[in-house]
Amino acid sequence: MYLNFSFGAKGLWAAISILLVFILGVYSSASALTAEEVLTIKAYEKVAPSVVNLTTQVCEAEFFYCATPSITGSGSGVVLREDGLIITNSHVVSGAQTIRVVLSDGRRLEARITASDPDDDLAVIKVDVGDKPLRAIALGDSDSLRVGQRVLAVGNPFGLGQTLTSGVISMTDRTIRDNETVLKNLIQTDAPINPGNSGGALINLDGELVGLCTAILSPTGSSIRIGFALPVKRIKAAAPELMHPWHKITGWVVVILLAAWFLRRIYRNPSRHYDMG
Amino acid sequence: MRSTRILSSALLVFFFAFTSLAIALTEEEKNNIDLYERLAPGVVNITSTVMEHDFFLNVIPRKGTGSGSIIDSRGFILTNNHVIGNGKLEVTLADGKKYTAGLMGSDPDTDLAVLKIDAPKESLTVIPMGDSASLKVGQKAMAIGNPFGLGQTLTTGVVSSVGRTMRSENGTLVEDIIQTDASINPGNSGGPLIDSSGKLIGITTAIFSPTGASVGIGFAIPIDTAKRIVDDLIEKGYYSYPFLGATMMNLFPDIAEVLRLPVKAGAMVVETTPGGPADKAGVRGGSRRAQIGNNIISVGGDVVVSVNEVQVPDADTVIREIRKLHPGDKIQLGIVRWDGTSGTLTVTLGEKPRGVRARQP
Repeated sequence: MYLNFSFGAKGLWAAISILLVFILGVYSSASALTAEEVLTIKAYEKVAPSVVNLTTQVCEAEFFYCATPSITGSGSGVVLREDGLIITNSHVVSGAQTIRVVLSDGRRLEARITASDPDDDLAVIKVDVGDKPLRAIALGDSDSLRVGQRVLAVGNPFGLGQTLTSGVISMTDRTIRDNETVLKNLIQTDAPINPGNSGGALINLDGELVGLCTAILSPTGSSIRIGFALPVKRIKAAAPELMHPWHKITGWVVVILLAAWFLRRIYRNPSRHYDMG
Repeated sequence: MRSTRILSSALLVFFFAFTSLAIALTEEEKNNIDLYERLAPGVVNITSTVMEHDFFLNVIPRKGTGSGSIIDSRGFILTNNHVIGNGKLEVTLADGKKYTAGLMGSDPDTDLAVLKIDAPKESLTVIPMGDSASLKVGQKAMAIGNPFGLGQTLTTGVVSSVGRTMRSENGTLVEDIIQTDASINPGNSGGPLIDSSGKLIGITTAIFSPTGASVGIGFAIPIDTAKRIVDDLIEKGYYSYPFLGATMMNLFPDIAEVLRLPVKAGAMVVETTPGGPADKAGVRGGSRRAQIGNNIISVGGDVVVSVNEVQVPDADTVIREIRKLHPGDKIQLGIVRWDGTSGTLTVTLGEKPRGVRARQP
C-alpha cells in the first residue's frame, strides 16, 4: 500500500516536473517578447497595409525655362475604402501636379484629388487599384482616448519609407493656430512625428485609427516629441461629404436654376404688363 | 491571543507592503530596469584624443566621445569605426575605471571596429549577441550609450522599420539597417541596441536629423552583419570584401527609354577600374556623355542584367549578390550591350583595396 502510494507520488512528481519544464520552455520562448511588444507588433502588422506613402511633384521652369521635375514633398495617407479611396492632409497634396502613391506591397500608382477641405486640413485622393483591392483601416473612437494611453504613429517621415514610432497621448482637445488656419480638438502625442508623417495614421494598440497626424510644434521643424493629430471623429464627420462631393455640383445646379427662373421672368414679364396695362 | 493578533497584523502589513511594491511597477518597467541593471556594466565610454595644432602652433588635444559594448570576456569591445577616428583611445568602464585601448581591427565599409582592453575578467560584463534577422517592427529596442558625453544613459523605443539601406562614410552600401525611435544622439554612436530579452541586436550608428540631435529617427547596424565581420577583425585586423572593380548606376525604366536601350532595368557600368577584375573580363565602361534633365551621365557602358542568373533590377542588387561571395570566387555576369547584343562574362572577383588604419594592439 505504502509502496504503491509512493510510486503514485513519484509518477505524479514526474508528471508535474515534466509539465513544469514544458510550461517553462513555452513561457521562456514566449517571453522573448513582452506582452506589450506582442500588442505593438500585432497592431502594426494590422495597419501597415493600410498606410501609404505619397510623393508629390511640382514641375517648375528653371532659370533657362527648361522644365525640370522637382520632387517637392512627401507625405502619408490612410486607406479609407478598398476601392482606393485614401485620406490625407490637404496641405500634403494641395498644389501638387502629380501625386504618386507607394503602397506597402511596393505598387506605385498615380492618384488624383477627389475632394479637399483646407479648413479641416483634410483631403481625399483616389487611386485605381485594378483587381487588387487595398486593405481599409478600421476606424476607432477618438472620444474615449485617455491621456497616458499608448499610441503608435505609422507614416513616411522625410520620405524614408514606412516607419513606426510609439508614444503616449500627451493631451486631448488641443487647439493650435497657424497664421492661416485654426485647428481645434486635436490629439497631442509624444510619438515622434516628423515632416512626411503628415496624413499618416495614429493608431491605438487595437490597430484602430484614432487620429490623422497633421502638425507638430517645433522650433527646428523636426520632431521634439510634440505632435498633433486630427481626431478620427472629424474624419468620420467629414468623410461622407469628401467621398461624394455633391456640394460642388449642387452650388452650380442652384445657380443655373435660379438664372433660368430669373431669365424666364424677365422674358415673360413685359408682355404680361403690356397685356394688363 | 494578543501576540497572535500582533503577529497577524504585522503579517498583513508586510503582505501589503510587498504587494504594493510589486504592483508599483508594470511588467514593462521591470523588464527595462532588469535589463539596464544587468547590461549597463557591459557598455563602455570611448574617448578618442587627437593632438592638433592651433593657430599659434600650440598642441591642443581634441576629444571625441562615443560608446561601445563588451562582446567577449577577453576584453574585446565592439564600436563604430567613426568613433575611434585617428586618435589615442581610452575606454572607461561603467564603474569608472579607465583603460588604454588597442585597436584590433576596423572596417570602414560597415563602420565597425573592435578594440581590446587588458582588464580583469571579473570587471567585464559581456553583452550576449542576439539575432537581427528575426526582428519585428514594433518590438522594443533599448539603447544604452553616452549621448553628448553626459555619461551612461538609457533610452527606449520600438523598432521602427527593418531592412533600410544606408551609405557609410566612404560611400559603401550597408544593408538591413534597423531604424528605431529610441532617442539616439551624438555620443551614442557605437553603443548597443538591445531587445527585451537582453540580447545585442544592433550597433547604434547614425541618425537622420536636420538639427543634429534626435528627432526620433535613429539607425543601427544589424548584429548579423557584425557577427560576419567581427571574427575577421579580431584575427586579421580587416575584413576582405570581394571586388568587382566597376562603378555602376541604376538604370530605371524611364532612363532606359530615353536612352533607347534594349533593356528595361539593370545596372549600367559607368566606369571600370583599369586592370581590375571586371576590366580583365572584358566589361566595358561608359564612353560618351549624355544629359538627362539636369544630370550629366556617362553612357555607353554595358548593362548588367543578371549576376549568377539572378535578375538585377538596380546597382544595389549587384552589390548585394557580390557581397555574398568571397575574393577569388567566379561569377557569371549577364550583360546587354548598346548595340543590342547580349551575353555572359565570367569574372574572377578580386580583393577590395583597403585604406584601413593599421592595427595597434
